[in-house]
Amino acid sequence: MSRFFRQAGDSDSDSESSSEEELMSSDDEGTKPTTTAKPAMSRFLRTAGDSSSSDSDSDSEDESDSDDDDEAQGSKKKSRFIRTSDSEDDDSDEDVKRVVKSAQAKRLDEMEASGKLMDNALKINDWVAISSEFDKLIRMVQRQQNVAEPIPPFFIRTLTGLETSLNSALAKEKEAKKKMNASNARALTAMKQKVKKVTKEYENDVKQFQTDPEKFESDYLALVSTEAQPQKVKKVKKAAGDSEEEDDDFTTVGKGGKAMQFTAEGIYKNLQLVQEARGKKNTDRTEQIRILEKLLEVAVTNYQRIRVLLALVSCRFDNNSSISAHVPIDLWLAAQKEVDQLIAIIAENPAYSIQEITEDYDELAERSPETEKDGIVRIRGSIISFVDRMDDEFTKSLQNIDPHGTEYVDRLKDEKGLYCTICRSQALYEKLGQDEPLGRVVMRRLEHIYSKPDAVVSALEAAVAAADFTPSIALDSSNDITSLIHSLCTFLYRSHNSLLRTRAMLCHIYHYALHNKFHTARDMLLMSHLQESIHSADVATQILYNRTVVQLGLSAFRCGLIKESQQTLQDIFGTQRVKELLAQGVHQQRYQVLSPEQEKAERQRQLPFHMHINTELLEAAFLVSSMLVEIPLLASIDSEEQKRKTISKSFRRLMDFADRQVFTGPPESTRDHIMQASKALQDGEWEKCRDLIQDIKIWSLMPECASVKEMLAKRIQEEGLRTYLFTYAPHYSTLSLSLLSRTFSLSLRQVTSIVSKMIWNEELSASLDQAASVVVFHRIELSRSQQLSQTLADKVNALVEQNEKALDQKLGQATSWQSRGEGGQGDKREQTGERRRGGERSRGARGGARGGRGARFAQGLGNQMSGAQRNR
Amino acid sequence: MAEYDLTQTIIPYYDRHLVFPLLAHLSESDTFPVEQVQAAQYELAKGTNMVDYAVSLFQQLYADQEVPSEFAAKREGAVSTNERLQQEAQAVLDVIENPEVAQALRQDKMQNLQYLKEHYNVTLEQINALYNFGKFQYTYGNYSGAADYLYHFRVLSTDADLTMSSHWGKLASDILTGKWDVALEELNTLREAIDSRAPSALPGAFSSPSGSTSDPALMQLHSRTWLLHWSLFVYFNHPEGRTLLLETFLTPTYLNTIQTSCPWILRYLATAAILSRKSTGTTSSRVRHSIREIVRVIQMEEYQYQDPVTNFLKELYVEFDFEAAQKDLSKAETVVANDFFLGEFRDEFLDNARYLISEAYCRIHQRIDIGDLSDRLNLDRDEGEKWIVNLIRETRMGADAKIDLEKNVIEINRPPQPIYQTVIEKTRGLAFRTQALGAAMVRPQQQQQQQPQQQQQPQAAITTEAQPAVVEGAR
Repeated sequence: MSRFFRQAGDSDSDSESSSEEELMSSDDEGTKPTTTAKPAMSRFLRTAGDSSSSDSDSDSEDESDSDDDDEAQGSKKKSRFIRTSDSEDDDSDEDVKRVVKSAQAKRLDEMEASGKLMDNALKINDWVAISSEFDKLIRMVQRQQNVAEPIPPFFIRTLTGLETSLNSALAKEKEAKKKMNASNARALTAMKQKVKKVTKEYENDVKQFQTDPEKFESDYLALVSTEAQPQKVKKVKKAAGDSEEEDDDFTTVGKGGKAMQFTAEGIYKNLQLVQEARGKKNTDRTEQIRILEKLLEVAVTNYQRIRVLLALVSCRFDNNSSISAHVPIDLWLAAQKEVDQLIAIIAENPAYSIQEITEDYDELAERSPETEKDGIVRIRGSIISFVDRMDDEFTKSLQNIDPHGTEYVDRLKDEKGLYCTICRSQALYEKLGQDEPLGRVVMRRLEHIYSKPDAVVSALEAAVAAADFTPSIALDSSNDITSLIHSLCTFLYRSHNSLLRTRAMLCHIYHYALHNKFHTARDMLLMSHLQESIHSADVATQILYNRTVVQLGLSAFRCGLIKESQQTLQDIFGTQRVKELLAQGVHQQRYQVLSPEQEKAERQRQLPFHMHINTELLEAAFLVSSMLVEIPLLASIDSEEQKRKTISKSFRRLMDFADRQVFTGPPESTRDHIMQASKALQDGEWEKCRDLIQDIKIWSLMPECASVKEMLAKRIQEEGLRTYLFTYAPHYSTLSLSLLSRTFSLSLRQVTSIVSKMIWNEELSASLDQAASVVVFHRIELSRSQQLSQTLADKVNALVEQNEKALDQKLGQATSWQSRGEGGQGDKREQTGERRRGGERSRGARGGARGGRGARFAQGLGNQMSGAQRNR
Repeated sequence: MAEYDLTQTIIPYYDRHLVFPLLAHLSESDTFPVEQVQAAQYELAKGTNMVDYAVSLFQQLYADQEVPSEFAAKREGAVSTNERLQQEAQAVLDVIENPEVAQALRQDKMQNLQYLKEHYNVTLEQINALYNFGKFQYTYGNYSGAADYLYHFRVLSTDADLTMSSHWGKLASDILTGKWDVALEELNTLREAIDSRAPSALPGAFSSPSGSTSDPALMQLHSRTWLLHWSLFVYFNHPEGRTLLLETFLTPTYLNTIQTSCPWILRYLATAAILSRKSTGTTSSRVRHSIREIVRVIQMEEYQYQDPVTNFLKELYVEFDFEAAQKDLSKAETVVANDFFLGEFRDEFLDNARYLISEAYCRIHQRIDIGDLSDRLNLDRDEGEKWIVNLIRETRMGADAKIDLEKNVIEINRPPQPIYQTVIEKTRGLAFRTQALGAAMVRPQQQQQQQPQQQQQPQAAITTEAQPAVVEGAR
C-alpha cells in the first residue's frame, strides 16, 4: 500500500514538473521523480498527466472540481478525516478553496492527500505508512517554504492531530502488548521522534495555532489572497462520481488510486455510475461489487437498500461472463443472502414493489411511499429472474465440480439455502398475488424435490419451516412428501403456461414412479397424452420425459412387472444412447464429429451428478427383464423364420455376441452375469441362473433390493419352467407335474397354473391328464410343404397389413375406413379387427416412435441420423 | 358382505330419487343396520317435495317425537306451486293436444315454434313452463306425469341445456316408473346426445352435484360416468339389457370412462359378460369376445378395484387357478345375490360361471375326474355328473368328450387342427380386407369430411394399449 502511494505521490510531482515548469523548475530536481511509476499510474494521476501535456485548463478544472466537492460534501466529511480539530474545519476549507494559483493549489492538494492517507493509516494503525507519508508532507512543506509561501494551517493542524493520536497510540501500545508487529512498532517510535523534531521546528506556528486557530488561519488567508486571483472556470462536472471520489473519505481505493466515499446521499449517483460501467469492456467487476457492497452498508432507507441490492445481485452474476463457467461459490452465496434480504425487505414493506415493467422514474431521486401517487413505490427489477439465475448457476456449478470430490458434497449442502430462498420467494409472490412468477418459482421448487428420496425432501422442508417467511404449500405434519408434491403439481396444473403444466405432470409422474406407484404413474402418463406431443417440446422437457419414462420402467421392475418394465425400457436401450438421452453424459459418435457449438450446448444440458439415474442399474434391470421375456420366447420358436421376430434387439445382439465367445471366464461385469445367467436359463439350470443374477453387485443401489432379488428368483423359477417345457416338449410324450414341481421348486399348484396358461394360450400343444397328473404333449411334425404353406399364409397376411397401413397413412385418420368396412359378417370381421388392433399396437409402440425420430432428426439435428442408424 | 357393497360408492352418481330403490333394497337385505338405512332414507326424502313420504319415514324413525311443523308448511307450499305451475303449463298443453296442431308440427323445431306463435300465441316462456311443471312433478314423485311433460317440452324446446336436462329427467322418470322399453329408448337418445355434443351435458336440473367445470372434455367424462350408472337400472331390468350393456360399455369411449372414473362398474360388466355367455345368434363379435376383453381390463385395473366377481374371472383366465376361482365363485355368489342390480340373476350367474369353469377345465385337460370337477363347481357328485352330462350334450365338444363311468372320468380327445385348416383360417379374411381396402381408396373424399367428427371425440381416458415411448430429445 505504502509503495503504491509513494509512487502516486512521486509521479504527482513528476506531472507537476511537466506542467508547471515555469513556476517551480528547481523543485523538480530536488525531489527526483521516479518515472518508473508511469505504467502503474493511476487514473487520477493520468488526468493530471494528460492535462499537463494537452492543456492546463483541465488542471484548473480539477481544482475547481475539488473545490466544488468540498463545498458539496460539507463539514461532515471533514470532521471525519480530521478528528482532532473541529472548529477550524470550515475555515481551512475556505482556505483551500481560495487557492487559485494552480501550482500552489496543487501543492496544497497534495498535502491534503497525504494528510488523508495518514489519517486512513492512522485508523488501521499502520505506522509504517504514516511515517512515509509524514516524510513526504514535511518535504512538501519545506518546498513551500522555499518558494516563500506561508505554512498552511492544514499542516499545523495535521501535526497537532498526529501528536495527540501518537500519544494515544503509544498509550494503547503499552496496555496491549504484542499487538503490533515489529516494523510497525519501529515506525511508531520513529514517528514519535520525527514529530517531536518537527514540532520543535514549527514551534511558533503551532503555538500560534493552538492559542488562536482562527486568527492563524485568517492570517494565512490574507497572505494568500493577495497573490490569488480567482479563477472563474466553472465547467460542468465531468462525472459527478469522479469528483466525489477524489475528495471523499477513502473507504475504497478506486482503480485510479482515488478515494471513494459512500454516503446515503451519494448512493444514487454511485449506482448510476456502476450501472453505466456495466457491460463495458474494461470494467473491473470485482471492484464494482465492492463499491456496491459499501453502498449497501451506508444505505439508510428501504428504497436505497432495494435499489442497491438489485444492482448488487445482478452485478454478482455479471461477474462471470462466460456461459460455460459458473459463478464462484462465495459470490453465489453472497448473492443468495442478498436475495433473501431483498425478499425480506419487500415482504416487510408492502409499499415497495419490484416490477419488471414500471413507469419511468428519476434514478437519482429518493423515493418513498409518501412521494408516490398511490402510495406504492414501484422499482424496476425482477426477483424471479434472480431466483432463476441462482438456481441455474447452482446447477452449472454442480455440472462443473468433480462429482466424486468433497467439494461437490459441500456444494450440495448449499441447496438447502437455495431451496429456502425459492420457498421464500414463493411466499412473497403468494402474498403479492402474482401468478406468473409464482408459477415459475413453484416449478423451481418442484424441480428441486421431485426426484429426491423422502428423507432429503423432509430435511429441505424442515429448513423451510424454520424460516420466518413460509409459503402456503408446505409439508404437513404427517410428513407426507407425496401430498406435498401433489399440491405443488395441482397448483401448477392450474397455471396458464402449458410448459409448466407439462413439466409438473412429468415431475409428478416421476415422483410416483420413484415411490413404486407404477400404476398411478402409468395411468397419469397415458392420460396426459404426453407421448404424442413431447416431440415438439423443448429439449429440457424431452429429457425430463425420458427420465420419467425410464423411472417408470424401473418402478415396473421393482414392482415385479417384468414385461411392462421391458417394454418401457426397450425404447431407450434400442437407441444405444442411453446416457445421452438422459443427459448424463456425452455420447461418442463414431461416424461424425460434433461441432463445438453442439458440444457446448450438450454440456450445458447435462444433469448434475446427484440427479443421475444410475445407467448401470438401468441396464441391469433392462437386460434381466429382457432375459426373462426373451429366453422362453427363444425356446418356443423352432424355425429360423420366426427367429427374426425379436423382442429386444439389443439383448439379442448381446446374446449372439456371448455365444460366439470361445471361452467364457467367470463373470465380471453386470453384462457377463446376465449373459451367463441367460445361458443357464436356456439350459434349464434355473438355480445357477438365479445365483448369477443375484450376485450382480449393482442391485445394492436399488431400494428394497432384497425383495427385488426375491421377486427375481421367483420369476426365474417360472420362466425356467416355461423355457424347459418349450425346449424339451418335442422329446417327451408325457411329463409328470410332480417332477416339474420338484425340479423347479414350485408348488404343484403353481406348476399346474403355468402349464394351464400355456395350454390355454396355445403356446404349448399339450393337455393335462388329471388322473395321472401328467402333461401329455401332442406334437405334430410338420412336413416341409405344410411349413411352407403356413409361412406363405403369414406372408400374405403381412402383405395385406402393409397395404392397410399404407392406406392409413395416406388417409391420415387411422382405421376409420375399416370400422366402416366391418359391416360384413362373422369371422372375417372379427379377424380384421383383431389384426388391425395388432397392427396398431406395434405401430403405436414402436413404429411411431422410430419413424418420428427419424423425421425429427432430419429437421432439426442435421446429419446425425445416418450415424445413429448405422450404429444400430 | 358389507365390504363388497357398492351402494355407497355409486350413490353420488345418481339422482336423489333414483337412490330410493337402492336404499329400499338395502333395508330388505341385512347388510347394514335397519335404523341407519332408514335414517338415510329420511334424509333423502327430506330434500324432496315428497312430504308425506318424508313424514311417514320420520314417524318410523322417531316414533315418540312430534313431526316437525316445517313439513306442513312445505306441503302447502308445494301444493300451491303445483297449482300455479300446472296452470301455466296447461295453456301450452291444451294447444299441443289439439290434433290439428299435432299434425302441423314438423321436424324443424324453429318452424314449429314459429307456427305455434303465429296461430296460438304460444311463446318460449310458456313452453318452458312445461319443463318447470315436469320438473316439479318429478320432485314430488309423480314420475309418469313428469315424463309426459318433459317429453312435450323436448319436442318444442330449442334450448340446448334445458333439453339435455329434460333428457335426464325423462330417463329418471321412465326408470322410476319401470317402463324399461321407453327408458332404453331414452337412454340411447341421451347417449347419442352426450356423444355428439361435448359441452354442458351434465344433468344440471336433476342432479345434486353440479360440477361447475368449464372443460368440455371433463364435462363429457362426467356425463358419461353418470350415464354408465343410470343405465345399470335399464340394462339389468330390460330383457335384452345384458347384451346391450356389453355393447355399450365395451365401446372404447365408455371403457375408458370406466377405467378412468368408475372402475367399480367392472363388476357389472364382468357379471353381464358371464351372464351373456350362452347368448348366441345375432350378437356381435364384441359381445362374444367380451370376456377376453374384460379380463384384460380387470388385470389392468386390479390395483384400483377388485371384488369377488372380477377376481373370479382373473383366477380363471389369468392364473388358471381353479381352486382359487372356485373360492371366489362362492364369494361372488353372495355378492351378486346382495347387489341391487344383480340380485335377480344369482342363479343364472352361478350357472354360467360353472359353464365357464368347466369349459376352461375341459380345454386344458385330457382326462378329468368327475368328482374333482364337481368339487370345482361347488356341486356334489351326483349333481355334478348330471350337470357334466348336460354340459357335454349341450356344447360343441360333445363329439370329443366321453364319460367313462367305470373309472369315473371324462376323456377328452381333441385331435389337433389339421394344417390345411389353420391355413384356411389364416387366409380367410384376406379377400374381404382387400375389398375393404379397395373401397376405402375410392372414397377418400367422404373420408375427409368425416374426419373432423372423429377428432372431436375427446380422449379423456387411457389408451390402454399404448406403452410410453422414449423420446430422443437429448440432442
